[in-house]
Amino acid sequence: MNTHDDDHGHAAATAQDDPPPGYYEIMETAVRELLVEKEVIGGGEIRQMLEVMDTRTPALGSKIVARAWVDPEFRARLLANGRATLEELGIDFFEDTQLIVLENTDKVHNVIVCTLCSCYPREILGLPPDWYKLKPYRARAVKEPRAVLAEFGTVIPDGVEIRVSDSTAIVRYLVLPQRPEGTENFSEEELASLVTRDAMIGVVRANTPEKKEKSR
Amino acid sequence: MSQTEDLVKRLPTEMGGLDAGPIQRTEHEYAPWEKRCHALANILDIHKIISTEEKRRGVESLGAEMVGKLTYYERWIVAFANILFQKAILTPEELAKKMDEVAARHPAVQHNE
Repeated sequence: MNTHDDDHGHAAATAQDDPPPGYYEIMETAVRELLVEKEVIGGGEIRQMLEVMDTRTPALGSKIVARAWVDPEFRARLLANGRATLEELGIDFFEDTQLIVLENTDKVHNVIVCTLCSCYPREILGLPPDWYKLKPYRARAVKEPRAVLAEFGTVIPDGVEIRVSDSTAIVRYLVLPQRPEGTENFSEEELASLVTRDAMIGVVRANTPEKKEKSR
Repeated sequence: MSQTEDLVKRLPTEMGGLDAGPIQRTEHEYAPWEKRCHALANILDIHKIISTEEKRRGVESLGAEMVGKLTYYERWIVAFANILFQKAILTPEELAKKMDEVAARHPAVQHNE
């Protein structure tokens, strides 16, 4: 957390050549400090939360997907109750939300959106990309998902149903992509390396071994 | 349909089904204060002070102009301040005073509001 004790605060700010804080950053600092002074929140809570948030990256989601690919019993539990299954793994949830894991199959391709705001499975994927929070994706994903997916380079055959799940404050979704072909002998770790953030949003498929090789 | 009718039927944050242009695959590194703002949201939710639902409503009640012009975390921090005033956890005077105090730590702060 940014502390500004009298001895070091100004010198440190000058030495690092940080741009001066803007109006909203000043507001954030002021709100936070007032809440701590009033003991509404604890002094170290924000810093601890930032540390927890740093551990929530798409790599965590990739591991969960890879495990679901190799362990049918885990996959069944994950699909039945996403939140409880992840809490068993020690992944705490910050908000009072459910997590529904949506499984892609040969017949159904899932994609997630939040038309009203920016609800996202943050506990597993971290903070969402900007495009997920901006109007074009939120407006169009529910109306013309096939066209939206094509913009991400994902062509879904006409015979495959596209299901768009609109997140809310209390229900979040995670897409469980299909395991790519040609990965029968892959270790769990190798499988995880094929699973991107965007595949877990549902705008692309998991990488194939060939595609991953090319992108190296 | 009159132009104002649409304002009544749709909240300023409600985007689903509207016409919009191509998706720009923009991403940015979150600034430290944006991450702190997010951490604050999580802490306030854990303490049952501001729920996700209240946060969204707080942003909606900023009105269409602010929703359109402020960035994502700018909307959040202004909404949090308003909700904390409504809940009598903070007062506008306290916040104004504290913001002056914070700004004074940075001699180079531009007062261009």
